[in-house]
Amino acid sequence: MLIVGAVFVSACEKDETVVITETREPTTRDKSPKLFATSDERFRDAKPSPVLGDMPEGWLALPASQFRLLNYRFGESGMGEVWVSLSAGTVIDNVNRWLTQFGADTLSPEGLAKLPPATLAGSTGKWVEAAGEYTSGMGDPARPGFALAGVVAAKDGQILTLKMVGPKAEVEAAKPVLEQFSKSLRMAE
Amino acid sequence: METSEIPPARVAKSIGGKIFDVLSGFGLATVTLLLLGVLTWFATLEQIDNGLYPTLNKYFHWKSVFLLPEIKGKMVPLPLPGGYWVGALLLVNLILGGVIRIRKGWSHVGNLVSHFGIIFMLIGGGVAHHFSERGNMAVGEGESSNAAEDYFEYVVEVSEIKDGQAESVTVIRGDQINDLKDGRTRTFQFPEFPFDLEIGGYLGNCQPVSVYERAPDKQQLQADSYYLMEKPDEINAESNTAGCYVRIVYRDGKKSAPAIVAGASFHPFSVRLDDRVFTVDMRKRLWPMPFTVQLDKFTADFHPGTARPAKFVSEITRIEKESKANVTIQMNEPMRYEGLTFFQASYGPPGAGPGEKMYSVFEIVHNPADKWPEYSLYIVSLGMLITFLQKLGSHLAATSRKKRHV
Repeated sequence: MLIVGAVFVSACEKDETVVITETREPTTRDKSPKLFATSDERFRDAKPSPVLGDMPEGWLALPASQFRLLNYRFGESGMGEVWVSLSAGTVIDNVNRWLTQFGADTLSPEGLAKLPPATLAGSTGKWVEAAGEYTSGMGDPARPGFALAGVVAAKDGQILTLKMVGPKAEVEAAKPVLEQFSKSLRMAE
Repeated sequence: METSEIPPARVAKSIGGKIFDVLSGFGLATVTLLLLGVLTWFATLEQIDNGLYPTLNKYFHWKSVFLLPEIKGKMVPLPLPGGYWVGALLLVNLILGGVIRIRKGWSHVGNLVSHFGIIFMLIGGGVAHHFSERGNMAVGEGESSNAAEDYFEYVVEVSEIKDGQAESVTVIRGDQINDLKDGRTRTFQFPEFPFDLEIGGYLGNCQPVSVYERAPDKQQLQADSYYLMEKPDEINAESNTAGCYVRIVYRDGKKSAPAIVAGASFHPFSVRLDDRVFTVDMRKRLWPMPFTVQLDKFTADFHPGTARPAKFVSEITRIEKESKANVTIQMNEPMRYEGLTFFQASYGPPGAGPGEKMYSVFEIVHNPADKWPEYSLYIVSLGMLITFLQKLGSHLAATSRKKRHV
């Protein structure tokens, strides 16, 4: 670390100095900043996730967010994402929401029953796949050539979801890993 | 003996006259309009792979003088002039040809008015390019906000904290830090604060990563067991999260250990000096609004069986010092107030499930030329109407004359 630090300092091309006078008024976005947060708190969501899993090799853990209890990137393109969420509604609501994001036909209860089962945090859910043009549904531009694989399961009165979205070839290649990861998921004590 | 008349010598035009002829000619108008069409076509194709923001910059920013199109990652060997400069040339052409050189008289008034309309539109485009600001504001239902956030510009902010709140925020702008790569550093002095800040190691899209999670692969600088892992630029440039390393430079010249500030961090970096507390943070530039927006209700309707939005509606209360106003903002029905335009842009969270609490996202635009395209269309329409009525009048008069002669 010292060596790297020395490189940082010695590699300076020149010591430029600029006087800063630009200011702005505080806004609603500046309310009550958390002071003296640790690096773990600053770069990860310090709130412990209610779901734990064994991160597969090659995936990159990203900070959790309000809507992503576990959050990962995978694949060479850097566009592959995997996340675990707790959601509201029913299993079929969530499965159909995912399918509509790819422009696929929604499922009837009979169609849902035909989906293959998958284990998710000790519950049995439904394995969902789709491919095509991915529209996240929040006004982002559509992403063609994408695919989805994931599991939706009812867990303790809530809906637990594991979702993988990314370029189709990368999702296809990562499906076995996702299945293993799905089995490793468990609720925290 | 054969005689012949000597033809009158043609008066040679001066170089200035020739240049005027070229700049004011139909030929140049045709070429510039064709070029604008070609540029728009290539830009439309290129933005699919490279994203809208970088493509717009490449094709239409004033700094882009020449460019090579790129389709599906392959360079097209066709050098094209930048769209801004083609538009500027068209403007010159219209002024010289469509206003100065054009034949004058009542029969040409319509053309003249139409040309003024198009000139006004082109000038409006230039004003918007140089002087407009854009940002967005995300507000949850029942929450309020008085700040817009720039789409792209990451800044470093330094604040003194008193009673748990920032007093005022000092801002180091993006163009003062985004060149601090490859070992280059810069020291920023704050007249009001008892320290300076040295910044280096800027990355346009990166993520703070713990060394225990993934070992650094490029001998990156570490700060408290974290380092900045560079990521490829996102296709949607607004999704990039910048980061950099900072060191506190004390008044005695000593420097602190490096710390990371990053767009992807949840909390600022804090500094205590004697009894004073400061925060240093990196975030997208905030743009304070002259009023507060409170989101009372948000509804989103979708086309059946799809995730494609049919309608978003935000019911808001606009709160100023002593007044409140209820306003509805929806797609194609923005709120215009105090020189700002609030468009309904999107909503979240991404892929919101049934029953989840949602937030609404507004695009906020401050554009001095906001209504100029509309006005220019009125002017062009008026010019065309005058021309049409004149032609109609001439036609009717000619028809009437013919009938009298029969």
